[in-house]
Amino acid sequence: MAIIAIQNLTYHYPQTTQPALQDLSFQVEEGEFVAVIGANGAGKSTLCYALTGFAPHFFRGEMSGQVLVAGLDTRHTPLEELMLVAGLVFQNPGNQISGAKFTVYEEIAFGLENLGVPPAEMRPRIDRIMALTGITDFANRSPYALSGGQQQRVALASILVMEPKLLVLDEPTSQLDPIGSREVFETIRAMSKQGMTVIMAEHKLEWVATFADRVIALANGEIILNGPPAEVLTSPLLIEHHIGQTRYTTVAKQAQAEQLWPPERALPVVIDEAEAGFRAYKK
Amino acid sequence: MPDNLSLYIERDSPLQRLNPLTKLAISFSLILIGFLGPGYWLATLLFICVLVPLSIWGKIGPEFLQRTVRLILPLALFLFVMQSLFYPGGRTVLWRFWIFSVKLEGVQFAYLTATRLMNMVGAFLLLLLSTHPSTLMTDLTRRGVSPSLTYILVSTLQIIPQMRNKANTIIDAQRSRGLETQGSVRARIGALLPLVGPLVFGSLVDVEERAIALEARAFKAKRVKTSLIHVPDSVRQRQVRIGLVVLTLVMIGIRLWPL
Repeated sequence: MAIIAIQNLTYHYPQTTQPALQDLSFQVEEGEFVAVIGANGAGKSTLCYALTGFAPHFFRGEMSGQVLVAGLDTRHTPLEELMLVAGLVFQNPGNQISGAKFTVYEEIAFGLENLGVPPAEMRPRIDRIMALTGITDFANRSPYALSGGQQQRVALASILVMEPKLLVLDEPTSQLDPIGSREVFETIRAMSKQGMTVIMAEHKLEWVATFADRVIALANGEIILNGPPAEVLTSPLLIEHHIGQTRYTTVAKQAQAEQLWPPERALPVVIDEAEAGFRAYKK
Repeated sequence: MPDNLSLYIERDSPLQRLNPLTKLAISFSLILIGFLGPGYWLATLLFICVLVPLSIWGKIGPEFLQRTVRLILPLALFLFVMQSLFYPGGRTVLWRFWIFSVKLEGVQFAYLTATRLMNMVGAFLLLLLSTHPSTLMTDLTRRGVSPSLTYILVSTLQIIPQMRNKANTIIDAQRSRGLETQGSVRARIGALLPLVGPLVFGSLVDVEERAIALEARAFKAKRVKTSLIHVPDSVRQRQVRIGLVVLTLVMIGIRLWPL
């Protein structure tokens, strides 16, 4: 069943003539992990905001077409209700810490308090999410005393505890070091494996290739590719639109040009495929 | 650098366990009674006989005294010097040197003002040292204070140190590009602009992101908010609060309409 159904979505930020999103149409099935890739300014963040209702409710602007999330029309549903079905985590971990709470445990409870969840119900939910995101040890620490990766996991836990049906991530690791990025990706993967629908805008194509069920590539606010990672991430259109390729695809392409890659074999997007390709050539 | 500006000291004591509103009532009534109440020695008595014992009861006695003295001493010294020498209308000269003369009325006025200020600073410190801001704001929100107002108060305590960290990062970045940030007053003033620009614009971007983060956590939801923290209260504490309000009103009444 489709949890997201976007039909002819076009969106302009206020006082702009160029649309940030242009005639987008696609669907996402429940439990799918969809990665959104694109160069800076391609519309990835705007798509994340449109899926969570921030565009147009928060940013205003002009929107045409329809975005249905779990059956709710984002244009006609208040943000407060949309937050219950679609959770948003974005780039800067520090700015997602509310500032209203002094410990990680209280920080995670903040969303539940705002939703009016009874305290007795809060604690088991918080404990479960903290264990899932691996932050149980930080429960009594200040959220500001944590590393970027740890803060981002707190931000993730703070959204997940509200039990949304859909998790929207806007470049969640762009400001993190490799260790922090790995911690966050592993947490997202764990959520996806539990059946949560995930939409993640991301630049790190190796991670996209590893995790995503499907990849949507954007350029100038339009969808240029939409399909399985192996198909989208090896498309020449990615180079044309300055999105890049995984390092494995790049190396294999070069090897192909020098007849060092098996001609019948598809280009790799993950390390295992690259290794298998080079081994097959060697044989 | 601390993560927040809270002065709270975690101790297991009856004072810490009191309802924050009770402590707020104690502090404000002590301040008002100290300023408005009759008698030259009232503020001193309130400090010695009420505030100091309360701080000992709260197991924060040394910290309370240390911070009060550190805050009030420079101010008190300044008051004594200025008032004893320049108090208008002072007639009783205590001693004289060169063109200056120290007058009794000035010393008395300085003492009264200094002890009232000490009482005020002490009352606030007692509240802040024994009450976690989170508990105070939770209780106030539960009693109907706007969540936005309590959010502004609490977040300020935490966001200011973050801004200070950011300012230090910007200074380091500018310094690494050769900007002189130390030395003469002129050099320091010149270094302000390259600091203020990125700090202000960066903070404006942060505000937008923080607003999105708050919306994403249903902060604006039109529902009855609940709280993870349970802040205990009792009938006796309510009676104490009412008593303090009545006492303060009586003091104000006596001040306005002397017997």
